[in-house]
Amino acid sequence: MNMKLVLATTFAALMAAPAVAQDGDKLKEVLDRGYLILGSGSTNPPWHFMDGDNQLTGFDIDMGRLVAKALFGDPDKIEYVQQSGDARIPNLATGKVDLTCQFMTVTAERAQQVEFTIPYYREGVGLLLMEGGDYADYEALKAGGSDVTVAVLQNVYAEEMVHTALPEATVDQYDSVDLMYQALNSGRAEAAATDQSALRWFMVQNPGRYLDAGYGWNPQTYACAVQPGDQRWLNFVNTVLHEGMTGVEFPFYSASFEKWFGTELESPQIGFPVEYK
Amino acid sequence: MDYDFNFAVVWRNWDLLAQGLGLGLSLAVLSIAIGTGIGLIAAFGMLSKLRPVRWIALAYVSAIRNTPILVLILFTYFALPQMGVRLEKIPSFIFTLSIYAGAYLAEVFRGGLVALPLGLREAGLAIGLTEFRTKIYIIIPVMMRNVLPSLSNNFISLFKDTSLAAVIAVPELTYYARKINVESFRVIETWMVASLIYVAACYIIASLLRRLEARLAIPR
Repeated sequence: MNMKLVLATTFAALMAAPAVAQDGDKLKEVLDRGYLILGSGSTNPPWHFMDGDNQLTGFDIDMGRLVAKALFGDPDKIEYVQQSGDARIPNLATGKVDLTCQFMTVTAERAQQVEFTIPYYREGVGLLLMEGGDYADYEALKAGGSDVTVAVLQNVYAEEMVHTALPEATVDQYDSVDLMYQALNSGRAEAAATDQSALRWFMVQNPGRYLDAGYGWNPQTYACAVQPGDQRWLNFVNTVLHEGMTGVEFPFYSASFEKWFGTELESPQIGFPVEYK
Repeated sequence: MDYDFNFAVVWRNWDLLAQGLGLGLSLAVLSIAIGTGIGLIAAFGMLSKLRPVRWIALAYVSAIRNTPILVLILFTYFALPQMGVRLEKIPSFIFTLSIYAGAYLAEVFRGGLVALPLGLREAGLAIGLTEFRTKIYIIIPVMMRNVLPSLSNNFISLFKDTSLAAVIAVPELTYYARKINVESFRVIETWMVASLIYVAACYIIASLLRRLEARLAIPR
């Protein structure tokens, strides 16, 4: 066999090999490059969106900044790849991004295609009420039975979703989020059922106007994700997120949490590690 | 187009669609009935000898006819309660569509009234009818026959406007179609079926009105 041909075939085979990282390569690659390539969106406050100065901001972005800070001591050393929701998995698979933080719900199906980090938020559905309205909290809404109208974004199983929490409530489905909030504002609905994060963000933006009914259900976990196959890189990101939520970077994480969700987190208890409680 | 049609998910919900169509038709019939009353009053108002009456009728027709119906629906449903007027979902929509229909029909009726020969009114008064009775027994019936073709056009248009009730979560045909669409992801099929139902319903309304036209036609 011709030596040249062998070389050519080997080369072609190498080129065609999927872009699966070798253990340890990614961390070195990112450190050598000098900045992190973060995949996220730009249209979903408070997760990832453009602020007044046209800069990406939000809770997802802050998670990426936490990782950049851990890598380079500078949270701004990030190159953003703005991607739509359906590009999250492909861009990881092809190695276009080092890390994706884009309110990604952890599912077993997705976990077969990407590697999820540890969670950084638990999303769920909550009920938004008007401050000083007829119903003070979840118990009151439940007692109100079918007199209570709940506005919700039209979606698959929207009615069943509301009825899980309030079995007798009347459900009005609107086809946009602003109509849903308008229904609440004009007294057309006693409560609006929406994602906890959206509800919190809405309350941060309109202080003193709304109340959280204090009940959450339909849990789903948000985590960042990396390309599968590089345990070293995954461990590194996990460690950064973990220390953000429990250790030295807690002030960074909790400041961000308070900024976007309006809740001050309790500092992790000193002594026995909180995560094993 | 490489697409496998699947109408089964849509047909499975035919009861919802039928229910929605029923509600849509009821909304239209009620609103058209009320709107016809408002339209007649406004038409006579615009032709009144009294300047303030003329002015009020004209202001009503201009204000309503020049506002998009969707804006009127949202205004009545979301803004009026905060101004102290609270109508429930369905009455709120019927109210809006009636007011809207009134403004359009007023122009149709005004056209019909202007086209009537003056002799009709004079004849009525000559045989001793009052001004009001002349309107009821002579002017309106003759005018109605004349404007029936353009009235049919408006009726069909108003029936289609009931699809906008979906915005304020009134469960009519479009609302259910949207719901089936979101739940089945059968976008093409759902909207195709909804369109066909609208076409069929409008066709039936139009042919009924045409038969009415033929029966009431003034022999020439």
